[in-house]
Amino acid sequence: MLFIALEIVCIILLVRTNTLQGVTVLQSANTVVGALLQKREDIQYYFGLRKVNDSLLAENARLRMLLDAEKHSTDAIVDSTVTAVVTPKDTTKKVQYAEYIYHTARVINNTIDATNNYITINRGTQQGVKKNMAVLSGTGTVGRVMYASDNYAAVLSILNVKQKVSAQLADGTIGSVKWEVGNPDLLIMEEIPQQIPVKIGDSVFTTNYSFFPPNVLIGKVVKKKIVKKNNLQYLYIRSATNFRNLQYVYVVENTKWNEKLKVEDSTKLLKAK
Amino acid sequence: MPIILKQFLRFCILILLQTLLLDKIVLQWWSSPSGFPVFIPYIYPLFILLLPLSTPVWALLFIGFATGLTVDVFTNTAGMHAFACVLIAYLRTNVLNALLPKHLTEYGDQVPGIKNMGWVPFLTYSAFLLFIHHFTFYLIEIWSLRNPGYLALKIAASTLTSILLVVVYLLLFSKRAPSRK
Repeated sequence: MLFIALEIVCIILLVRTNTLQGVTVLQSANTVVGALLQKREDIQYYFGLRKVNDSLLAENARLRMLLDAEKHSTDAIVDSTVTAVVTPKDTTKKVQYAEYIYHTARVINNTIDATNNYITINRGTQQGVKKNMAVLSGTGTVGRVMYASDNYAAVLSILNVKQKVSAQLADGTIGSVKWEVGNPDLLIMEEIPQQIPVKIGDSVFTTNYSFFPPNVLIGKVVKKKIVKKNNLQYLYIRSATNFRNLQYVYVVENTKWNEKLKVEDSTKLLKAK
Repeated sequence: MPIILKQFLRFCILILLQTLLLDKIVLQWWSSPSGFPVFIPYIYPLFILLLPLSTPVWALLFIGFATGLTVDVFTNTAGMHAFACVLIAYLRTNVLNALLPKHLTEYGDQVPGIKNMGWVPFLTYSAFLLFIHHFTFYLIEIWSLRNPGYLALKIAASTLTSILLVVVYLLLFSKRAPSRK
C-alpha cells in the first residue's frame, strides 16, 4: 500500500514538472545544491581556461566586425531625412520595442544526455535574473530561465522536447526549431515549404516572435530531408552553441517583455468576449 | 548507533560521487555519428542495495524515496529517480528472499555483500535491480516507444557500465580478509 502511495507521489511530481509552468521547488537552483555545484565548477574551471580564452577572443573578433559594419551603415543614414525627423534624443518618436540588457553568468551545472536538459547558472534574482529571460552563449542561443533563486537560476536549454523555438532562414522564411533526444549537437527545423531553396551551410536565426532577441544565430544547416507526404522540408541544424563545454553565458533581459505580454493578453481577452 | 552512521556515510559518499563526478562525465561507447546514445551510469542505487538485510519494507520504501528525490534535486528531474528507487526498494526484499537460504530477519544487522552471499548471488542481485532501476528511469525519461532500439541500447550500455562501477566500488570499499566471527 505504502509502495503504491509513494509511487503515486512520484508520478504527481513528474506530471507537475513536465509542464513548462510546473512547480519548480525541486530545482538544482536551490541554495544548498547550488553551492555544491558551484564548488564542483570551481574545480573544473581551471581546466577549461584556455578554451574560454579562445572562445572570448573569437567572440570579440566577431563583435568588432559587426561594430564596423554598423558604423558604416549609420554613416550613410546620418545625412538622410529619416534621422532628421526622428532624432535619437527624441524618445517619444524613437522606435523602441525591445531594450536588451545583458548579464553575464557562469554555467555551474549542465546536462546534455537527458530528454529535457537544464543548465544551472550562478546568477539569481539578486543579480537581476528573472524567470523567462533568454540565455545566449558567445556563439548562439542557449535557452530560457525557468526558475531563479536568490543567487542561482535554472535554465531550460534548447536541448529539450517541451518547447520549440521560432526561427528564420536568412531570406526571412519562418519556421520552428526543435530538438530530438539523442544528439546534443543536432537541432531540427521543420515546416519549411519545399519551394524555398536551402543550401547546406545556410544559417538559421531567431525571430522577433520568441523570447530570444532577434537575429541571434541558432545554427547552420548540415542536412536536409524532404517529406513526400506534405511537401515540407526538414532541415538538420548543427547548433551554434557547443553544449558540451559551455562555460559562460549571457542572460538577456528584455525590458519591454512585460509590456508585450500585457498587450498580447489583452487581445486574448478580446477574443474571449 | 554505528550502523546508522555507517549507512549515512555511505549515502553521502555515493550521492556526492554520483552528482559531483559521474553526472559530469557523459559517456559514449563508440564514437559513431549515427547516434549511439550518450548516457550516464547511475551507481547511487547501490546505497539501497547495501542497506542491512533486516530493514523493514516500509523503511526501505521511505529511504528509497528520499534517495531518489535527493538525486532528482541535483538533476532537475523531480520524481524520475524517486520512482525508480521506490520500485527497486520494493523489489529488493523479494529478490533477496529468493537468493538467500535463511529468512531475512535472521541476518540481523548484516549487510548484503560478497562476504555473506558470494560473488554470483550478489552480482545477480545487484545486476537485476540495477537493470530494473535503469530500465524504469530511462523509460520515464524518454517516455516514448518510437525508437525502441535506441532506448534498449541506452539502457543496456548504462546498466553494464553501472555494474562495472559497482564491482569497482565493492573491490575498493570492502575489507580484504573476511573476518570470522
